[in-house]
Amino acid sequence: MEVETHALHGGTEECESKLRHYQKANLVYRDGSSATLCNLTAANLGRLTAILGGINMAYSEKRRDFLKGLGAGIGVAAGAAIAASGIVARVGPARAALPPKGNIPDTPFKTGHITFLTGPAAVLGEPSLKGHTLAAEEINAQGGLLGKRKIETDKTDEAAGVDGVVKEVRRMKLSENIDLLTGVISSGTSPALAPVAEELSFLTLLTDGCTDYVFDRADPHPKYVFRVTNIQSADGMTAGVATAQTWPHIKSIAHLHPDYAYGHNAFLHFNLVMQHVLPGTENVSVNWPKLGTTDFTPYITKIMAANPDLLFSSIWGGDYVAFYKQALRYGLFDKMKFASTIAFGINPSAIGKDHPEGLLVGCHANYYFTFPSADRWPANAGFVKRYFERWQEYPNFEAEGAYTALYALKTAVERANRLEGGWPSNDAIISQLEGLGLETPAGYLYISPENHQGYKDTVIGFSKNVPEYPFPILDPARVIYLPVRSISAPPGWPKPTSSDQEDTAAADWIRATWQVAQKA
Amino acid sequence: MAIVVIQILNSLFYASVLFLIAAGLTLIFGVMRIVNLAHGSLYALGAYITAWLVGQAVAGGIPLGGLALFLLLPAGAIGVALIGAILEPSLLRPFYQRAEEYQLLVTFGLLLILEDAIRFLWGGLPLSADAVADTLPSVRVLGFLYPAYNFVVIGIGAVAALALWGLVYRTRFGVLLRATAQDRRMATALGLDVRRVYLFAFTIGCFIAGLGGAIVVPSQAAVLGMGIEALVLAFIVVVIGGMGSLKGALVGALIVSFVRTIGVQFFPEAELAFLFLLAGVVLIVRPTGLFGTA
Repeated sequence: MEVETHALHGGTEECESKLRHYQKANLVYRDGSSATLCNLTAANLGRLTAILGGINMAYSEKRRDFLKGLGAGIGVAAGAAIAASGIVARVGPARAALPPKGNIPDTPFKTGHITFLTGPAAVLGEPSLKGHTLAAEEINAQGGLLGKRKIETDKTDEAAGVDGVVKEVRRMKLSENIDLLTGVISSGTSPALAPVAEELSFLTLLTDGCTDYVFDRADPHPKYVFRVTNIQSADGMTAGVATAQTWPHIKSIAHLHPDYAYGHNAFLHFNLVMQHVLPGTENVSVNWPKLGTTDFTPYITKIMAANPDLLFSSIWGGDYVAFYKQALRYGLFDKMKFASTIAFGINPSAIGKDHPEGLLVGCHANYYFTFPSADRWPANAGFVKRYFERWQEYPNFEAEGAYTALYALKTAVERANRLEGGWPSNDAIISQLEGLGLETPAGYLYISPENHQGYKDTVIGFSKNVPEYPFPILDPARVIYLPVRSISAPPGWPKPTSSDQEDTAAADWIRATWQVAQKA
Repeated sequence: MAIVVIQILNSLFYASVLFLIAAGLTLIFGVMRIVNLAHGSLYALGAYITAWLVGQAVAGGIPLGGLALFLLLPAGAIGVALIGAILEPSLLRPFYQRAEEYQLLVTFGLLLILEDAIRFLWGGLPLSADAVADTLPSVRVLGFLYPAYNFVVIGIGAVAALALWGLVYRTRFGVLLRATAQDRRMATALGLDVRRVYLFAFTIGCFIAGLGGAIVVPSQAAVLGMGIEALVLAFIVVVIGGMGSLKGALVGALIVSFVRTIGVQFFPEAELAFLFLLAGVVLIVRPTGLFGTA
């Protein structure tokens, strides 16, 4: 993988052939676990289709970029065929459900949506709730789950803090009889919440709170807890691989990360990627502003004085908006390259037209509303359209995650109903969530039965102003997709044993299986 | 060397804003003996009102050119002052005779209400007022780009410090303020309308907090939670400088700002701990702060 990333800078034809090779090579897990792919048990069938779909999609998107102008039009036809076969379900209201088996009660299905309703993180909490609400309204418009049970939502403010949220979760289960928990933004909340949800047998679909820690350490053998969005380590790695691919000649790097779990996770995995893919790069300035910082001027001056080739950052939300506006006037972006995991993770309209172009800006390795593009991925086109009609804004990754979570539930409930008849038991629903393949707005999603973690190809791109939108978007001509298995430890990889609580299975996996790139 | 100069300018910029917040906090405490926990939110309100006004002006096409936008900066401060003039008699006055805990509860409640009101009125997304800062170019300072607007902020901070000093120590109203601060009962006995003094003190405190928000927003953006961050730092400032002392607020703001910059430059992992440590040392050595008397 390392060698190929270097090579992606050749001409169109060269890149094309390299990509072909790259995609083929990556059909196999680096640890050789591809063997499991041949075991076409029922559980593995979902996985195989998801992986094939993912490859097909990532490949055709990339290929499209490289073949742009040649009139090549390989779409997601194969993916659509898989979806039509009924193995991979598509999210959205258009799909007609089979009539449910047995008697379905018409009592409401109660969901608890945990997200930031106040404080600085409400900038991510609002779209999360909007995505959830839209999915609930769509499902309810068709009569509810299995055509009978309308979805009701009880919101909880994550800003109440970890203890407050955990107490509220107990109350929701024990006195409110809530059926499902969704949401959770903070990587501080999810590790505390997951073991409690397991203890209460509380079905939970996390839509963020994506720290590796949840399934690495806090809840290593999950039964009731799932996560439908990408794992956090994929974020730092995506930015790392994309950086190396884009600017292979950088030597010195400065860092600017929020001083909590997320910033440290991005720092760790980005560094590991650099050590393997671009060995010899050096960190010349490492900075840890507190989350919620608004005055970045001393950091900006310090970083400019260190004169790095690249600044890598995981600053997000309002902090990032404040940062880029200050950095702009200090001329920081003229002096160095800039890469970020999550700069464009906020609502797209929060970034101004003054934002510099050509920066490598991530969206939490999850979702940006213009990808996969509308002409070849109906699940996204429809979602963006309906979301805009409902809320007069464009969705971000939190909105997509919360939206997808309810459709993952809906799909699993419908399948479990085919198995059991009537309203299915939690065990039956869980059995159908495990190994689920879903055609989501963000692309193919696959939920591993081993660690209950969702996997989908990651996306990152370059800021660009276009006439169609009053804000910069990811440059449609050069988006970078990474096959998620190339940047994830296989689900069964041993849990981390390091006493450093920030260390992850994914980090161990890089250390054990990635080779250090040789100079060409 | 150039870096040192720029970092000093950065520190002065930050100190100007911190001083405006802390001065209001300390003035209100000095005169009224109320710890106003909602003070940071009033600062945030100033930022939001200004950013909103600038946004409206730009969308409506301002006739007088960019410099007219600078006239909107005091508008943000005046807006917050008006809110203060309503809050003091309606919300705070009934609690002056009650124990301190009640006053803390009331101002904390006000903080929560203001934070929610901001989100309700302007939504969760950052609000910017770039147009103001962009009327002035970035200038070269020893080879480094530095936004000229930041000089304006430093200037406003300095002028505000002088004006406040003049108000408190050189005017008749200042004498009334200080008299009330020193002994409220005696001031009342001498026929002073303490209610009016309180109203003006609170309004002025709100005005300078709003001014702080108004001048900082063009260089950054108005974001949720900015008030809480400001409140914490303003408390460190008054703990170091001394609660109730205007001079303390100025010196405290300078100390906090420079120490933070030094922390960022040399101890990036412990920048905040550094500030709290400093406040802790001051509390042990001089419990009333450097210039505090009470």
